[in-house]
Amino acid sequence: MGGESNEGEMGFKHGDDESGGISRVGITSMPLYAKADPFFSSADWGPVVNAAGGFSSSHYHPSMAMDNPGMSCFSHYQPGSGSGFAADMPASLLPFGDCGGGQIGHFLGSDKKGERLIRAGESSHEDHHQVSDDAVLGASPIGKRRLPEAESQWNKKAVEEFQEDPQRGSDQSQKKHKNDQSKETVNKESSQSEEAPKENYIHMRARRGQATNSHSLAERVRREKISERMRLLQELVPGCNKITGKAVMLDEIINYVQSLQQQVEFLSMKLATVNPEINIDIDRILAKDLLQSRDRNTPTLGLNPFSGFQGTIPNLCTTTNPQYNPLPQTTLESELQNLYQMGFVSNPTTMSSFSPNGN
Amino acid sequence: MERQIINKKKRVFSLEPNKNPSAVFTRKYTSHLVPALKKLNMNKNSSKQTVKHEVDMALALSAQEFAWSRFLLQKLSSSTNPTTTTSSSDGIQILERSDKEGGNEEGEIEEKLRELQTLLPGGEEMNVEEMLSEIGNYIKCLELQTIALKSIVQDST
Repeated sequence: MGGESNEGEMGFKHGDDESGGISRVGITSMPLYAKADPFFSSADWGPVVNAAGGFSSSHYHPSMAMDNPGMSCFSHYQPGSGSGFAADMPASLLPFGDCGGGQIGHFLGSDKKGERLIRAGESSHEDHHQVSDDAVLGASPIGKRRLPEAESQWNKKAVEEFQEDPQRGSDQSQKKHKNDQSKETVNKESSQSEEAPKENYIHMRARRGQATNSHSLAERVRREKISERMRLLQELVPGCNKITGKAVMLDEIINYVQSLQQQVEFLSMKLATVNPEINIDIDRILAKDLLQSRDRNTPTLGLNPFSGFQGTIPNLCTTTNPQYNPLPQTTLESELQNLYQMGFVSNPTTMSSFSPNGN
Repeated sequence: MERQIINKKKRVFSLEPNKNPSAVFTRKYTSHLVPALKKLNMNKNSSKQTVKHEVDMALALSAQEFAWSRFLLQKLSSSTNPTTTTSSSDGIQILERSDKEGGNEEGEIEEKLRELQTLLPGGEEMNVEEMLSEIGNYIKCLELQTIALKSIVQDST
């Protein structure tokens, strides 16, 4: 049990390569909560929460990498903890810090799960990569920024920024710190990252053969983030799949944005000339919109739900066509209903005259 | 109407239309723009400037979750003579300048990133990473906007 950090009785320590990291005091305190519900009171969870907060993912995964019942427990919390900075498995513990003790008891309810925790902790870490992947996948909500980051970490690359939700327009600031022990342990395996969620860090380790200066590390992370975003943009801008190289890609993006803006301006000019004669039929406009926008179903940056949708309403439709590209009326009926609800469509009889082809 | 629906073949419906952001955005956009246009129509004052203003306003209002839309709203509401989002002439100038730099690649890339920033409303105030993700959203919304505008124009001609 030597070498414990000051992080609490669980003894989680990051930057430590010993695989026996779990098998310290932390484990001995665990059996306590396996047995009795009283252990789940908030007071007792204090050290666990703090320790979990500071804990290194590489060691903790095995213990948290429980089977699905355990994971489903954790996934329950994620919407609650809006801080969104936990990258790894321990992230799933973080919600404990956010919620009251009562909820925690409810959370980790059964003895069985506690037992599993212990056993998992004591087991070897062989497949912790795989398990952690599963766990991360199981636990990753859309709301948390960093969980998918954890996924890429486990692929033994440096931290990459993932696709952000549209709601999160601005990055949180991150500080990157190099782990001091990385010099001793630098090898191809050591490019994992850890995170101290309280301080919103990402700890980077230098890869083999690369400069370990903290500045260049930060610079590299930043560059990788930028190239990640550029890749996403590449998918967004039509005709950029074959382009390699930042400069050309940026040129394309600039040209595309400019052309789109010019189109908008041209159309609005046209609209201005046409405006007096407008007899706008909203439902027809929407039908055409949906028709055309569905044809351009390109992957988008940061807009996760923008992917194509299909589904059937059995009581309404007749047959479904697996190729949805030419199909115009995917959401038409419901769109129209929504418009009704908005009180926007003033003339209900226009709906009956509406033809499926949007003519 | 039920009968009409049943007679249609090969339709695919979405169970949750409100979850498809393309549809949501387009609906919002048209619902903002069309009444504004009608109002303009009634006032018999549809100069190009005002229509463009309404168009931009509708765009900004329909995409409230993005940072650039907030900047755009600010710009629109703070100026009676709204700045357009097109800066094509500026863009060309900047491009030429970077050519003269003599092929310093990093510099070129920086120049282009800066130019992108000028294109995006509020882009100057973001850092590069933010800006790149915002550009993605912006492009998507611009595309949807052009589709909507085309439909409106076609519909009334």
